[in-house]
Amino acid sequence: MFNRLQTKLTVLFAGLFALALSLVAVTVYLAIAGNAQQAVRDELAASGTVFDRVWALRTQRLQDGADLLSRDFGFRAAVATHDAPTVDSAVANLRQRLGLDLAFMVGVDGDVVGIDPKRLDVPKLWAALDAEDQAQGVFIIDGAPYQAISAPIMSPTLTGWIVFAAKLDDTEMRALERLSAIGLDAQVFDRRDGRWVTHNAGPDAQSLGAYVGAALKEKTRKPSLLKAGGAADLVLVKPLKALSPDGAAALVLRYPLAQAMAPYRPLFTAVILAGLLGATLVAAATWALSRGLARPIAALEVAARRLQRGEDVRVEVQTHDEIGRLAGSFNLMASEIRDREARMTHLALHDEETGLANRRAMEREITARLALVAPGRKIVIGALGLDRFPAVRSAIGYELATELIAKIGERLVTISPGLMVGRLTTSILCVISLVDDAEEAVNRIETLIPSLEPPVMLGGQPVDIHITHGVAAAGHGEMDAARLIEHALIALDQACAAHRKVMVFDPVAYGDPAGNLSLMSELLDGVTSGALFIHHQPKLDLRTGQITGAEALVRWNHPTRGPLGPDLFVGMAEETGHIRALTDHVLAQTIADQKVLRAAGHDLLLSVNISGRLIDDADFAERAIEQVVREGARLCFEITETAVIGNPDVALAVLERFDAAGISVSIDDYGSGLSSLAYLKQIRADELKIDKAFVMTLQAGGKDALLVKSTIDLAHSLGMKVTAEGVETREALAVLRLMGCDLAQGYHVARPMGLAALTAFLEGWSIELPAGVETDALRQA
Amino acid sequence: MKLAVTLMFAVLLGGPAVAGSLTVTVRGADGKPVPDAVVTVNPGGRPTSGPIKFAWPYRVAQQNIQFTPFVLIVPAGAEVSFPNLDKVRHHVYSFSAGNKFELKLYGHEENRTVRMPAVGVAAIGCNIHDQMVGFIKVVDTAYAAKSDANGVATIADVPEGAAVIRVWHPYLRAPKNEKTLSLASIGAGPARETVTLELRAPSSH
Repeated sequence: MFNRLQTKLTVLFAGLFALALSLVAVTVYLAIAGNAQQAVRDELAASGTVFDRVWALRTQRLQDGADLLSRDFGFRAAVATHDAPTVDSAVANLRQRLGLDLAFMVGVDGDVVGIDPKRLDVPKLWAALDAEDQAQGVFIIDGAPYQAISAPIMSPTLTGWIVFAAKLDDTEMRALERLSAIGLDAQVFDRRDGRWVTHNAGPDAQSLGAYVGAALKEKTRKPSLLKAGGAADLVLVKPLKALSPDGAAALVLRYPLAQAMAPYRPLFTAVILAGLLGATLVAAATWALSRGLARPIAALEVAARRLQRGEDVRVEVQTHDEIGRLAGSFNLMASEIRDREARMTHLALHDEETGLANRRAMEREITARLALVAPGRKIVIGALGLDRFPAVRSAIGYELATELIAKIGERLVTISPGLMVGRLTTSILCVISLVDDAEEAVNRIETLIPSLEPPVMLGGQPVDIHITHGVAAAGHGEMDAARLIEHALIALDQACAAHRKVMVFDPVAYGDPAGNLSLMSELLDGVTSGALFIHHQPKLDLRTGQITGAEALVRWNHPTRGPLGPDLFVGMAEETGHIRALTDHVLAQTIADQKVLRAAGHDLLLSVNISGRLIDDADFAERAIEQVVREGARLCFEITETAVIGNPDVALAVLERFDAAGISVSIDDYGSGLSSLAYLKQIRADELKIDKAFVMTLQAGGKDALLVKSTIDLAHSLGMKVTAEGVETREALAVLRLMGCDLAQGYHVARPMGLAALTAFLEGWSIELPAGVETDALRQA
Repeated sequence: MKLAVTLMFAVLLGGPAVAGSLTVTVRGADGKPVPDAVVTVNPGGRPTSGPIKFAWPYRVAQQNIQFTPFVLIVPAGAEVSFPNLDKVRHHVYSFSAGNKFELKLYGHEENRTVRMPAVGVAAIGCNIHDQMVGFIKVVDTAYAAKSDANGVATIADVPEGAAVIRVWHPYLRAPKNEKTLSLASIGAGPARETVTLELRAPSSH
């Protein structure tokens, strides 16, 4: 409800005070009201008693007068002798003497003397007088209540009654009211036709009349509270004796309660004013007090929010109470959070082993710089790979290798102060160059290499280092930091692959990896759709001039890209594992083609290239052998030397199984890789294919010629036939024939072709082999 | 006081042919005998012609501040004496119409007489002593009697034949304090009658 402590405290205290004061005020009011009411009740009761006494005295006075008259002999004589004028005058005389309102005589026979009989109900009066000796009470004359008393006239027997009546009018009531200590209101009610009415009817006469009726019925003799018309009155009803048995009258004494409370009103006003003043003071005081209390708390809250936002905050400690201590604790906490955060940030942004910035820190820095780089300028970074790191690490140990990396990082900063250096992987460092152009950066690196590559002293021993640099650059908005780092790493890979010290990222060479990936899924579609197919390149037997074999080469007519060379997708298929499906396809197609050729009467040994990745795949070997045997195919599997070097034990075993299954094995591309004589001896191959790089530059007497000649001899000595690839000229064909080469393959013989073309080619084949006269000369050379 | 009235006649046949006696027993509503009730018989409804003489003295004495007797029957025109037997003086008066008189203060052993000329009632009182009340019943018939302490009034030698029989009592609740009996004839021989009267309480002083 209240979001501020200060408001809360103020409302609480002021509210409590107001509540307490209200209770006091209510208590005081109730006590005073009770007292006042009791006082009025007592006064009313006392007034009632006084009235009783006054009534009795009046009655007695009237009675005395009536008695006196009724006993007067002359009066009696006048009455007895029906001397009306005398009686009238006597009555009038006494009325004047006693100050009476009315005095008259009622005869036993019903005659009335001294008053107009029309003014009153004579039969009722007569009955009342006759019913009771000395009857007295309230009687209605002229519609107004009168106090009437009677005395019998005996002469000596009853001849009539003398009646005196005093009007119970306002004058009488005022006189009675004056007798009371309090200003009460007296009224006489009488019952007429079942309703209680009063002569001097006020606005509330009806409700008061009803109350009088009820009070008399219940014989209430004490003052009661009567609420009518919004005002409360204390009312005392005193029954008055009525002259007539069927009449009824009552004196009603009334006192307005508001009047009773009037003397206390200033007291109430004072209490309420004091209460309001007090509540205001308490509210103001609490407000001021709680502000002192709440302000430091509010300051703490603000500080906590700022701390949350990562701001550096410190709260002023002003007091030594709990809040002051809280502020102190807060400051302590804030500083510890800052320290911890700094440690965490350091950990998050630094390489733990070397203390260099880590990849995330580099990315962050590059991102920051990319955001600020000027248009046309670039951010240039370098990826520095320590060559042969696994070898170095296994030589000097993990710990020293890490130290080596750290020292290289230090050296970089020393050589080029201001350079930001970080560690990307265990062996690769990242540098954000100070220059803004890739070429300039390359130049700079090349000039710095001499000072960067002296041996590093580790544990007192010098360790040689060789570093390859990949450089990548990006302008504002071109790419994000992660991509730039990736480019630098690729550039490093490209440099390694190209055996160069420094290379800038070459996007053309890199290609489109994402596109390549989609190419691989399309490759599988191509296998089923027939977009992938094979061409055969015939192999010429140099001794007989016959075409004895052909190499199956895969071709891909891509639906959108057009014809794709195997160098574009075979390597990728190897990397992604699609090579297996591809090889399966080529194998099956070759077997099928061989059947077609056989049917056409051409028995050719068909060669299929088997990727090094599949050599140690026992599953593949199993299936290939099973397939070849089942179909009765006559095939040759061409395998590169390097495929065997990777995992020689498995590879050699597989090759032996191929051989056992009657599948010829050919060592492909001999001379292009690291040709090892040791393996050459171990590999149980039927054929050796000399790489076209040697054959194409073959010139009589050149170095290559010697190499080719000696290789042919070597192969022959190991029991292998020799096929030369890339034979494009008749001269080369002649030289190779002279050198004793067994088979030739190349454009000079035939280009790779489809099955139909091959069949036609074979039908029309004829060649005039060059003379072998130079054979001896070559041997001599 | 409210008293019911019951009248009963017992006509005695076989009595003297010329006259009979009438005995009326007067009782109050409470059944108690009512003394001082005056029974009058007017044979043929007419007053008695000729002088009337009753056996009792025509005298109302004042004794112990009381009139004695309380009720006296006299014929019209009778002289009634008012001897004062008390030691105090009395002032005897009557405002009754026709028999109005006033005997101003007179003392012990003094005797005054007043003539009662009119048939009716003379209510007598003393101007000095309010409690003194007495009645003189002035009648025009020779056949009248007052009930005794037992409430019995006996009239002898009432002539046989039609008659108006009335009962009067000073406090009888009826016009002129009088009641006419329904019995309209007197037979030969003694007749017995019982009357129940409703009486008013005498006014207290």
